[in-house]
Amino acid sequence: MSDAASTKTGAVLIVGAGIAGIQASLDLANSGFKVYLVEQSPTIGGTMAQLDKTFPTNDCSMCIVSPKLVECARHPNIELLTFAEVEKVEGDAGHFTVSVRKKARSVDGSKCTGCGVCQAACPVRATVRVPEPLEDGEGERTRAVDAIIDSHGGSREAMIMVLQDSNKAFNYLPEEVLHRISTRLGIPYAEVYGAASFYKAFSLEPRGTHIIQTCMGTACHVRGAQRILEEMERRLDIPAGETTKDRLFTLETVNCLGACALGPIVAIDGEFHGSMTTAKVPALLDSYAEGKNDSERRAAS
Amino acid sequence: MRLQSVAELDVMRASVVAARSPRRQEIIVSTDSTCCVLRGSLGVAEAFQTGISEAGLREGTGLRLTGCLGFCEIEPMVVILPQKILYQRVTPGDVKEIIQKTLKEGVVVERLLYKDPQTGEAIQDIEKVPFYQKQMRLVLGPNERIEPSRIEDYIADGGYSALAKALSGMTPEGVIQEVTRSGIRGRGGAGYPTGKKWETTRTADSEDGVRYVICNADEGDPGAYMDRAVLEANPHAVLEGMVIGSFAIGSHEGFIYVRTEYPLAVDRLKKAIAQAEDLGLAGRNILGSGHDFSIRIVRGAGAFVCGESTALMASLEGKVGRPRAKYVHTSEKGYHERPTNLNNVETWANIPLIINRGADWFAGIGTERSKGTKIFSLVGKINNTGLVEVPMGISLRDIVFTIGGGIPKGKRFKAVQTGGPSGGCIPESLLDLKVDYDELTKAGSMMGSGGMIVMDEDTCMVDVARYFLAFLKDESCGKCVPCREGIKQMLAILERICHGEGREEDIDTLEQIGSYQVDTSLCALGQTAANPVLSTIRYFRSEYETHIRDRYCPAGVCKALFRYRIDPETCNGCMACVKQCPSKAIEGERKKPHIIHQETCIVCGICHDTCRFGAIGKVHTSEVAV
Repeated sequence: MSDAASTKTGAVLIVGAGIAGIQASLDLANSGFKVYLVEQSPTIGGTMAQLDKTFPTNDCSMCIVSPKLVECARHPNIELLTFAEVEKVEGDAGHFTVSVRKKARSVDGSKCTGCGVCQAACPVRATVRVPEPLEDGEGERTRAVDAIIDSHGGSREAMIMVLQDSNKAFNYLPEEVLHRISTRLGIPYAEVYGAASFYKAFSLEPRGTHIIQTCMGTACHVRGAQRILEEMERRLDIPAGETTKDRLFTLETVNCLGACALGPIVAIDGEFHGSMTTAKVPALLDSYAEGKNDSERRAAS
Repeated sequence: MRLQSVAELDVMRASVVAARSPRRQEIIVSTDSTCCVLRGSLGVAEAFQTGISEAGLREGTGLRLTGCLGFCEIEPMVVILPQKILYQRVTPGDVKEIIQKTLKEGVVVERLLYKDPQTGEAIQDIEKVPFYQKQMRLVLGPNERIEPSRIEDYIADGGYSALAKALSGMTPEGVIQEVTRSGIRGRGGAGYPTGKKWETTRTADSEDGVRYVICNADEGDPGAYMDRAVLEANPHAVLEGMVIGSFAIGSHEGFIYVRTEYPLAVDRLKKAIAQAEDLGLAGRNILGSGHDFSIRIVRGAGAFVCGESTALMASLEGKVGRPRAKYVHTSEKGYHERPTNLNNVETWANIPLIINRGADWFAGIGTERSKGTKIFSLVGKINNTGLVEVPMGISLRDIVFTIGGGIPKGKRFKAVQTGGPSGGCIPESLLDLKVDYDELTKAGSMMGSGGMIVMDEDTCMVDVARYFLAFLKDESCGKCVPCREGIKQMLAILERICHGEGREEDIDTLEQIGSYQVDTSLCALGQTAANPVLSTIRYFRSEYETHIRDRYCPAGVCKALFRYRIDPETCNGCMACVKQCPSKAIEGERKKPHIIHQETCIVCGICHDTCRFGAIGKVHTSEVAV
């Protein structure tokens, strides 16, 4: 061994006290190294401590991680630097000097037992914060959602059907509507939002007057649906999934409309247009755009 | 009216049949199905209604507006009975002529007859049309005899007699035994023996004795629409199957989970359930037997994975539709942790047939391990697009060339894709393959729900694989890593290849990721997601290599790997493409050959679509100066 190697400090700094950082610290510490474990947040454990189960065995996540947390905290070779960030690293292998900024937490970590009395007494944030339930029962939308919820009997199971009807009624799912559904059905907002963003039939953004659905089913695909979609995107100057600036058209794709004999197929406002070609696109779009102008003219006169 | 016993049902059937005045002739119009309506069938039906009374033919002429008759390519189609004359692509304008000539004078309207795409010969008799000749329409057959919203039609056709037979003369165990003996396997695609599933659901422990029955109508496979057609044309067959199933399993509550993209099917089912409940064929004390069974419709919300049983049940419970690991089957612990039996629409529609005609009859159809018939939706580059019902064991060649009438425009057949995004592509060399569950799996594909997409020489197989992965990437629920990440990585590689940046090692990497994916994913979506990639590599490896090594897409699909060129010999200078070109890349004068300026061309293909003389071709990038 060279001189430089033999004079190495023999201490290790690990950044990030998630499950990987913790395991690495324990392995190194048990092998006789001094470990500094730096963590940005006030607590160690990272994402895994927030999970319920782990893939693929569905084992309890906390059961795996918590013994390691305890061991990490009481290991004589590990020094925890939580609520801290690495500012600067100097030197080279074996002789690094690292500056760590430890943020003020106004609590002496070595003495705190986590009794929670201070939290109860604190005038600034005395309670755990939860989102305020929306002031509802007033607006038109709220009344409309209430009617939808009532029509489904207000049971928890009806959530998806309530979302479907609301999506249809408002042409999308406004945030306040999601909050109302959450309050009325007694389902956490995160879960309502989760379902609203999971299913394709729901939109979280306002949509245009005319909704264009380009079928992307296999039968349509082999007959050139992709090129139809590209032509739509070019003519409307928006990518699929968005709405034109004038709020006239929303361009969506759909997996299969189940009318494969007519492919490639495009549905606008639920009206189907079969055997599409790129050359037919402009006239089709114009017919809808002008249709709107017609009604406007009629309304004006 | 509520039927109190099996005998009352028989009386009703007899009276419905008797009430039908003996008609001299009958007109069948395929009207009430999503695709017929698109082709203007409602106008045709209306024209017949008014036309018949105007012509003074109301006496002795019946008009039946049915659901899907399967031959979607020639819709709206009209069949005149008793001569069985088939008229294709009928418009309201043609109706007068049909009434005058065929109904009044008994002459055939030649120009509306079906013409064989291969021979050009006009065929008059519907039963002689090759599309129908080789089929065995057990489930679809009744469609032409039934108006979907009339339960009387279904009953007159022998409907609900299987239910009567089960309730009056069979024990639940007997029904299960019959279904088991028939050898029917799940028509949703995986092919699990239906009888075995029923048996497990019946005998599994349930703390309060509650069991559920579900009909899976979340037909998500792109290119498959047979479930929609069955629900729209003959909803009572599905209901009858479910009621029989509930009796055998000992369940009193059932659900039908339908795709939200099928509004007409939902509407049909609602009506059908109400009719069946009114007559006492569903609901409380069915046919006076003491058996209760109520059915509710639940609409999906556009998630492909919800066709998977555990995800579907999560969605039914009002949750996000993510599958769970199936250490415990849903037939033991499913919806709300109770034993739940889930079958596909087509499976349910087969049940009355099995009970009525017996397990031995059913087991006599098909191959050793796959019994009965299967409905396929034959779509893509095929002359006779439509729904075909064939006995298991028929060869792919028969389906594509005899029933399907071959490939349009004289192009060459390349492959047929079965099993939706979980299936694979089967090449020309395997066209004599016998279609059943096991043979398709051996060929690297699967039965799936029954989509059969035909591809010709203009289809790029790399692009097809990319298409399916892009679909699956969107539809992966994201719960397990192999599916979520594996699909993404494979897609990235395929996109690279399609953009002309493929690397030599890409094919091996795809095969490797694909094989891991099969072994490690949580549900069938992930486990089968690699099939489109692995099967196209297996049979069309050279096409991948051409993309990677020669930077060329022989089919002319991958934009970066070919260019459009105008053939100066063929171009007659009509200016049509010049006017249509969105990027003004085509230059030309009238009656002189045009040229495409490659530097401004965006390869959108509009000129190619516009040219009526076939002058615009696809060539290797190196063949044109950019």
